[in-house]
Amino acid sequence: MFSAEFKQELDKITNKYEQKRAALLPLLHHVQEKEGLITPQTEADLAEYLGVPVVHIHEVVSFYHLFHQKKMGKYHFSICQTTACALCGAEGVIEHIEQRLKIRPGETTPDGKFSLSVVECLGACEIAPVMQGNKDYVGCLNKKKVDEIIDKNS
Amino acid sequence: MEKIVTRHFGQPNSHRLENYLKDNGYEAARKALTQMTPAAVIDEVKKSNLRGLGGAGFPTGTKWSFIPQANPKPKYLVINGDEGEPGTFKDKYILEQDPHALLEGIIITCYAIGSHKAYVYIRGEYLKSLQILQAAVDEAYKANYLGRGIMGTGFDIDVVVHPGAGAYICGEETALLESLEGKKGFPRLKPPFPAVVGLFGCPTVINNVETISCIAPIINKGADWYAKLGCEKNGGNRLFCISGHVVKPGIYELPNGITLREIIYDHAGGIPNGRKLKAVIPGGISAPILTPDQIDVKMDFDSLKAIGSMAGSGGIIVMDDTTDMVWAAMVAARFFAHESCGQCSPCREGSGWVYRNVKRIYQGQAKPHDLNNLPGIVNNIGGNTICAFGDAVSMSVGSYVTKFRSEFEAKIKGEYAESKH
Amino acid sequence: MPNLSIDGKQIEVPAGTTIIQAADKLGISIPRYCYHPALPVSGNCRICMVEVEKQPKLQIACYTPVADGMVVKTNSPKVLEVRKTVLEFLLVNHPVDCPVCDQAGECKLQDYYMEHGQYDSRLSDVKVKKEKKAFSIGPTVMLDQERCILCTRCVRFADNITKTSEFGVFSRGDHSQLDIYPGKQLDNAYSGNVVDICPVGALTDKDFRFKCRVWYLSQTKSVCPGCSMGCNITVEWDKMRPHVHKNARVMRLKPRLNQDVNQYWICDKGRYNYRFIDENRIQHPQFKDNLITWDEAVGVIARAIKPLQDSNQTNRIGVIASAQLTNEDLFAVRKFFKETLKGAQVDFRMPENPGDSDNFLIKADKNPNTAGALNILQADAQVEQIVQKAVKGEIDVLYVFGHDLVKIFSKETVAQIAKKVKLFVYQGSNINETCGYAHLNLPSSVYAEKEGTFTNCQQKVQRIWPAFLPLAEAKSDWQIISLLSAELGAPLAYHHAQEIFKDIAANLAPFSEMTYEKIADKGMVLKA
Repeated sequence: MFSAEFKQELDKITNKYEQKRAALLPLLHHVQEKEGLITPQTEADLAEYLGVPVVHIHEVVSFYHLFHQKKMGKYHFSICQTTACALCGAEGVIEHIEQRLKIRPGETTPDGKFSLSVVECLGACEIAPVMQGNKDYVGCLNKKKVDEIIDKNS
Repeated sequence: MEKIVTRHFGQPNSHRLENYLKDNGYEAARKALTQMTPAAVIDEVKKSNLRGLGGAGFPTGTKWSFIPQANPKPKYLVINGDEGEPGTFKDKYILEQDPHALLEGIIITCYAIGSHKAYVYIRGEYLKSLQILQAAVDEAYKANYLGRGIMGTGFDIDVVVHPGAGAYICGEETALLESLEGKKGFPRLKPPFPAVVGLFGCPTVINNVETISCIAPIINKGADWYAKLGCEKNGGNRLFCISGHVVKPGIYELPNGITLREIIYDHAGGIPNGRKLKAVIPGGISAPILTPDQIDVKMDFDSLKAIGSMAGSGGIIVMDDTTDMVWAAMVAARFFAHESCGQCSPCREGSGWVYRNVKRIYQGQAKPHDLNNLPGIVNNIGGNTICAFGDAVSMSVGSYVTKFRSEFEAKIKGEYAESKH
Repeated sequence: MPNLSIDGKQIEVPAGTTIIQAADKLGISIPRYCYHPALPVSGNCRICMVEVEKQPKLQIACYTPVADGMVVKTNSPKVLEVRKTVLEFLLVNHPVDCPVCDQAGECKLQDYYMEHGQYDSRLSDVKVKKEKKAFSIGPTVMLDQERCILCTRCVRFADNITKTSEFGVFSRGDHSQLDIYPGKQLDNAYSGNVVDICPVGALTDKDFRFKCRVWYLSQTKSVCPGCSMGCNITVEWDKMRPHVHKNARVMRLKPRLNQDVNQYWICDKGRYNYRFIDENRIQHPQFKDNLITWDEAVGVIARAIKPLQDSNQTNRIGVIASAQLTNEDLFAVRKFFKETLKGAQVDFRMPENPGDSDNFLIKADKNPNTAGALNILQADAQVEQIVQKAVKGEIDVLYVFGHDLVKIFSKETVAQIAKKVKLFVYQGSNINETCGYAHLNLPSSVYAEKEGTFTNCQQKVQRIWPAFLPLAEAKSDWQIISLLSAELGAPLAYHHAQEIFKDIAANLAPFSEMTYEKIADKGMVLKA
């Protein structure tokens, strides 16, 4: 169950919507921002808060790629692999990260510093190959840029 | 050429209210609210030949007129900022560099359709856009361009900025509504259409970011002006996106009716490294691919439809002659397999199957019957699904097989023959 | 009302009717997976697509409302082709588990493939693997995610019928998985119904798992005797292979559609309560420790009753009848014990604590025929008084129908009764503790072995049919009473339950004008 203060925080978001359930996505973002992931406890609390069966909360969490049920590494590479980025060398970038960090897409390094995800179009094809590194879009990726980022965050 | 949507781009602090106000900011809204009836606004937008710039190209004014005014339920405006169509990145620029243009368009649109509440649904990855738009909304509320009795008129309007969470299918308007209501992005069965039963069961208009950003200029300068800028039945300019193998990838505001050749060579600098054009996607990944002999097509909705493709979202992706077209087909098939929502059986099972099939062909592990069966399998998805995603899989992936058949044949193991099995 | 034609046949239906509903009314069964008449429409399987004249694309029949003048074709070449298409897609990732899947023989993938598929496979790829196979999701149901075709019937059932929302479809695309919420169980009171509605072998019944191939099963219509709801059921049984089933005949019960009573559903208690039909039965008449013949048994009772008849002391006969008996049984009780043995103390109302109930199908009254007993026996005595008298020695013949008196009144009381009463008769189908105290035990048939009627809590008279002959020497309760009455010179002269029902209809106003033919398999409500 959410604490009264946290409920007030969430109410600020929920009150913008005519139906409470519509606040689910922004609420999930809000919690994930704080805790880094969505836990079963959060799902249960949201189910209670919104009056929605918990199974349908979990459906939403599992459907949308931006919600994580496991904590990501401190630096999370989300590399785009769709057409424009693929044409401009995304595969090489992904391979390079795999080689340097010794992880495959979907995995996190044992020291928790890096995660790698491969995603579809991020809407920044003009700076392909592009990735979302944590929150920021980083474009025109190449091995050098990747090395710099990895070195900076090691 | 007169810039419309990009007129403030590049100006310092272009996203701030004070910059927007320097250039007749919110005057179109004031004009609409105080000098025009809602019906007159709809008429004006109809006359302008503005068509939806998210991908479907539906005449905007006509869409607005479907809202049943006699229906006592509240009306909603939903702005589609999900921008997930590969090759497309224009709405991001509007959101980051001229959010008030969108907000002014929202005010006019809400007035026209009788709505007092607008939701702007922005894909969850666009954190910067979400932030900047929210700041603009806050500015607008503070200065009474949004809220109760705006600008001294009696008109109330609220705008909520709403994030998506990483699902391409939420760009489909009824899937967007489902997502906005806090559910998985499963497209709805139609009819009823959103104009009658939309958000929360109420009449709803859903329009793309760029489309609504054109509304204020249309009201300011008139429908005739806008219609003349484009071509017949497709008024105005459009923000084309171009990426892939070009010298100057980016957004280009150009009139509807410009040819693809002009965009690629005159504006985007042509193909780099002295290479030649091999193939080009004209309107986002869902659009059937074009070959070099087709690039003199005019880039408006009707002309592209006539040659068997689509203007779609205006996302142009250029492929030079180093491109393996089987690989490109695989990349497209993989995209669709990853983004299928999974609701209906032909798309859910078909998109994955087609991807695995094309992948095997690409990896040289397929037999002749795999390639012979592929077009039939691909075609079975489209026309049998709940939404147009299924049609997109068929049209898009199918176009690679049709137009570059010989490359597929070359990858087949063993003797290639026209055998049924 | 819109008038349309489907495959050349005309039909007029209320506005709002969908094509699939109109077709069902015409007896044209359009294939369907996700559509279920009791659940909200989902429209995701796409196999019900039909051709509608003037529409360029095929339309799903489950969602498209009929229109006046509409012309629908459910078997045109386009439609037949699209059915193959949908089947092909569904079978791409479906594991061909038929040899080990309980659904075989009643599986809609098999059935529609044989009817509409029959294409050559074009599949050269590996099938998508899912997480849970042969996975228990609760006390009654097994889940196999790979077999699931994601029709979402179970999700809609749990959301809309039981409102318990156990099921969801997680992830997306062809990695979508049907599952229950991690850590939860499917343990609501109606969980077994999801097995009925699952068109494939994704949700299967643990109780029935690997028990019997469905093509060995015979079906007989009946009514569940578990409570006064009287949910309509089908008894499914196999008599041909007692060596496989250890002499059990009934393999499972299934709910039978009755819109006015239980719709498509049955509670778990009712569904799984069939073992008593074959297990722990009283098989032969038994006097104290000796098995005896029916003739001998009837003689024992007659010899105890006759003196009481002759000396006008029939009030020393106590009869504890039962609301578990059919109307026919009860009428025989009435005719013999209340009329022939006028003065005998007859009642059926047990001092039981009301059982659990809900606002759906489960009723607190755990008897199938209380309304029948009330109308037919019009009891004036009271069970508690009869028992007290028996304990005090004021009853010479105590005749108990099916009640376990030990459970309700205690061992001591029953032991006392056994001492005080001259003849303590227990007539029932299954062995219980009371049998050990009764002097004479008589084997009666269970509901599945009987022809007859029950009257449910809606005052609705419903028929039951016998699936097979009674076990060993068991007889219907009315048949036993007939033997007894004949022995005492006042034969009831009934040969079939239907004859008794005719008498009921002729003599009791609430049942007037009812016949078995009119009752059919939907039931008839008593007259007020």
